[in-house]
Amino acid sequence: MEVLDKLLNVALLVATLRTTAPILLVGLGGSFTTKAGIFNIGLEGQMLVGAFFAVLGSIWSGSAFVGVLCGVAAALVFALVFALLVVTFRANEVVVGLALNILAGGMTISLMKAVFGTRGSIVGHGIVGLPKVQIPWARELLGSWAPLVSGYTPLVYVAFFAVPLLVLFYRRTRLGLYIRVVGEKPEAAEALGISIARIRYVASLLCGLLAGLAGAHLSLGYITMFTENMSSGRGFMAVAILIFSNGDPLRVLGGCLLFGFADAFSLRLQTFGFPSYLILAVPYAVALVALFALSYRSRPRIIRETLESMRKLLSVEPGRADADNTPST
Amino acid sequence: MAVELIGVTKRFGAFAANDDVSIAVRRGEIHAIIGENGAGKTTLMNVLFGLLQPDEGAIRIEGKDMVMADPAAAIAAGLGMVHQHFKLVPSLSVAENVFLGMEIRRNGLIDHAAQIEKTRELSERFGLKVEPTERVSLLSVGIEQRIEILKVLARGARIIILDEPTAVLTPQESRELFQTLRGFVAGGMTVIFISHHLEEVMEVSDTVTVLRNGKHVATRPTAELTKADLVRMMVGRDVSFARRRRERTAGSVVLEVKNLWARDDRRLPALRDASFTVRAGEIVGIAGVAGNGQTELAEVLTGLRPASHGSAVLKGRDLTTQSPAQIREAGLAHVPGDRMVRGVDGGASISANLLMGRQTRAPWSRNGILDWQVAASQAADMIKRFDIRARGPQDTVKRLSGGNIQKVVLAREFTNDADFLLIDQPTRGVDIGAQESIHDEIMRQRAAGRAVLVISVQLDELLTLADRILVMFNGRIMGEVDGDGADSERIGMMMAGVEAGAATGGAAR
Ligand SMILES: Nc1ncnc2c1ncn2[C@@H]1O[C@H](COP(=O)(O)OP(=O)(O)OP(=O)(O)O)[C@@H](O)[C@H]1O
Ligand SMILES: [Mg+2]
Repeated sequence: MEVLDKLLNVALLVATLRTTAPILLVGLGGSFTTKAGIFNIGLEGQMLVGAFFAVLGSIWSGSAFVGVLCGVAAALVFALVFALLVVTFRANEVVVGLALNILAGGMTISLMKAVFGTRGSIVGHGIVGLPKVQIPWARELLGSWAPLVSGYTPLVYVAFFAVPLLVLFYRRTRLGLYIRVVGEKPEAAEALGISIARIRYVASLLCGLLAGLAGAHLSLGYITMFTENMSSGRGFMAVAILIFSNGDPLRVLGGCLLFGFADAFSLRLQTFGFPSYLILAVPYAVALVALFALSYRSRPRIIRETLESMRKLLSVEPGRADADNTPST
Repeated sequence: MAVELIGVTKRFGAFAANDDVSIAVRRGEIHAIIGENGAGKTTLMNVLFGLLQPDEGAIRIEGKDMVMADPAAAIAAGLGMVHQHFKLVPSLSVAENVFLGMEIRRNGLIDHAAQIEKTRELSERFGLKVEPTERVSLLSVGIEQRIEILKVLARGARIIILDEPTAVLTPQESRELFQTLRGFVAGGMTVIFISHHLEEVMEVSDTVTVLRNGKHVATRPTAELTKADLVRMMVGRDVSFARRRRERTAGSVVLEVKNLWARDDRRLPALRDASFTVRAGEIVGIAGVAGNGQTELAEVLTGLRPASHGSAVLKGRDLTTQSPAQIREAGLAHVPGDRMVRGVDGGASISANLLMGRQTRAPWSRNGILDWQVAASQAADMIKRFDIRARGPQDTVKRLSGGNIQKVVLAREFTNDADFLLIDQPTRGVDIGAQESIHDEIMRQRAAGRAVLVISVQLDELLTLADRILVMFNGRIMGEVDGDGADSERIGMMMAGVEAGAATGGAAR
């Protein structure tokens, strides 16, 4: 009981929200491209350059806010290159995405070497992290639950507020509608004079914007540092979540919360002395298994059909017995 | 004059799809455009609507010279086009589709309520019944077409172009459509439609234009013409619509369907207790208004939909437990109802499409390696045999005209040596000359001892071809009629759900 108490409490929920934020940001970014019919595997790279340039900007200017802007700008450049190659030159999106990811990894490492002369990580150097936002009435109203809503860095709020905004965006704005149409039925868009290329560019750039914020949150949010490959697969996890959620903001939120929870929980477990490499794998494993289970109904047809025919083979006789009531139900 | 096309020429490479075509369409008339597959009808309409740019020629709307740089220009000039293949977004509602591209907004946000209200208003004013809030993916083709027409009306079109509007409609839906169109012209609008159904051309049009090989043949008032005249102008020879002569050859049972049930996509029973047999050397026709379980029947027989109960045995193998590949192995050839979805890969060449399904067999492949040379030469043969109008085996299928795409599917399936042929809508969108040759081919398959099941919403077609006709209504087989001396009146009653016994006369067997 005591162990459970230690594991599950307000602090765990707070940690969950905190770890969810970066992947939620990048996942929501990917929602734009997913909806526009682009399979964007380059999220990881955009996030990574976002993180790196956020740190750079913050050091140079001494302002966390400018740092965030720099991170976003860098991610936007990557998104623009992605769109240029994929939309204008019709290159294969997976190849381009992977190439940009590799470029992001290599580029951040060599720039780190060139600018700071170090390998591995950038710590100190006067990096200014994002401030924590204290909501004034939280303590009085919520007591010990206050940390749940107050005291996060700003991008956590941005991430969670972006969810309803995106829902509204897809349902009620023209751009959101066109993004969906371009992804679902490009010929319809074309027939109505909607430029497919332009919409895909816009979707790509919106994606870069959020991926850049996600990166900035990684390096300026809770830990103010940059380490080699610091996005550590979050971009890929977001891609997985996007595939299962089809880019719907609410379902992206669900998937990300799941991942965030598993992440926070595994950090908790570390204090119990489990081997750390196992623990680091936990969130990914949990999220993948859960996503697979959740998308039970939309599993690839082939699996479903195989199961269905197996069931049919096994139950030929009972099936026959209730023949008359089966179809009428 | 509402529309004047003057000396329009449109070339694709060296090939002229339209060659110096001049047509005048009067205001307030229904103007039909007919011609064989590939005659250039769609191309001409695309030029008029600004989707294609003519190489030569001019366009005049209401007496004014116009350049149709893009569809937006055509829409601004009062034109509206309903395409051969619909362009609706399945996940959006009816109202969202109608107003797509011209959303009604308030404070920058799309005003769904206003769009729904306006759609309802339009649908009432023009007698096109739809429910504005419904999702398009759940609706039938007939209703999808109404939405396409509403889209055009919502944009204020006064001249409406419809490319083969009835190809996908049931006779009932076609009748309703023509009533709507008559209402349009009565209100001063102008309608141009393309069709391969000469009866409906005779019935509803005021003027007919005939195209042949891209050239204008004639434009005349319909009243001066007979159906035979139209055929002669289109094809250049007479075409017979008479019932095919035949000898009774029915052999052993090839397909036996017993108490078959299946559900549709909404999980409701769509096929109820169907039982029938198809024998070697006979053609069994399935008649019925579209949406009465024919699609589901075809899908179950081809392994694309699970049966909820019952069996369908093809030469001793129960198809309901097999995958589509296994069913084909067992001896099924399938011409699907929707050629663009399941019939062809539009982006691939004719040879690749004709190769599909036999890529693992000699002589197309040897030791696991494809022989494209063989594929191309076989394709060239089939192009000749089935009269596919294309420049060669390497042509991309998407570029072909609608009827020629259908012929590609038929060519592949009919040369498969399968014992059982399931043909869903054999001549959808196919011109009458080609219809005749497709019917010839089906009769040849019958003579070769194949068992043939033909599903068609066109009763005439079944009356020409079938040895026996089964009539489906609401998922059930209402009864069976012998093809010889079949009474279309009685079949019509059964299609409407009147029991076979109650309809005049007993079963004719
Ligand atoms: N984009 C294109 N590129 C090359 N050839 C084309 C293209 N579009 C049409 N064609 C060719 O132009 C000819 C006329 O085609 P069109 O689609 O106008 O015929 P159609 O009269 O509408 O026939 P159907 O009744 O079968 O629909 C065909 O031979 C077709 O292959
Ligand atoms: Mg056409």
